[in-house]
Amino acid sequence: MSEDSQIFVIKTTANQERSVATALARVSKKEKLDIRAILAPDELKGYVLVEAPKSGIVELAIQTIPHARALVKGSSSIAEIEHFLKPKPTVTGIKEGAIIEVTSGPFKGEKARVKRVDEGHEEITVELFDAVVPIPITIRGDTVRILKKDNE
Amino acid sequence: MAEKVCRHCMRVLEGQTCVICGTSDLAEEWSGLVIILDAERSEIAKKLGVDIPDKFALKVR
Repeated sequence: MSEDSQIFVIKTTANQERSVATALARVSKKEKLDIRAILAPDELKGYVLVEAPKSGIVELAIQTIPHARALVKGSSSIAEIEHFLKPKPTVTGIKEGAIIEVTSGPFKGEKARVKRVDEGHEEITVELFDAVVPIPITIRGDTVRILKKDNE
Repeated sequence: MAEKVCRHCMRVLEGQTCVICGTSDLAEEWSGLVIILDAERSEIAKKLGVDIPDKFALKVR
């Protein structure tokens, strides 16, 4: 008899989401628990989502897993977590003319204006403010922070 | 060894080739981990269109 799946949330130590997910999969296989899927989206820091029919199963499974801290009370529906399954490109929300700050790499801390956005490669081409000669540089979309959305 | 992801089926692998697709088109940069344990009854597996239990990535670069 198959019961409906619910989504349960486990609180984990930060940056240990993947290790908790793999350990949970191992425990579940070994103990033959009815855990159907485990989800560790990068957007959700410190949490792992588990698809199972009952909270007791998840509670039991996390007892022996290091870095799995607690089961969050209550459950979610599949519809509520569906957006995690289709991640957006990292350049979403960055528009031409926006002012950004580079957060990593050799130009870390520099402010720049966006000249071009490449959604396919998730890259943006920017011109640094502090450069004497304006040279366009192409950087990854996830290494910037938006300071001003549009230059109007 | 670092885990890689097959660009075709999004499986998380440890070797140099994908066992299912047979391709060596693997990505080292990926994000989001999904582990499907029961592909028949999992709603997440249905949404992702997965029918074999395995480890998958949500996004590859």
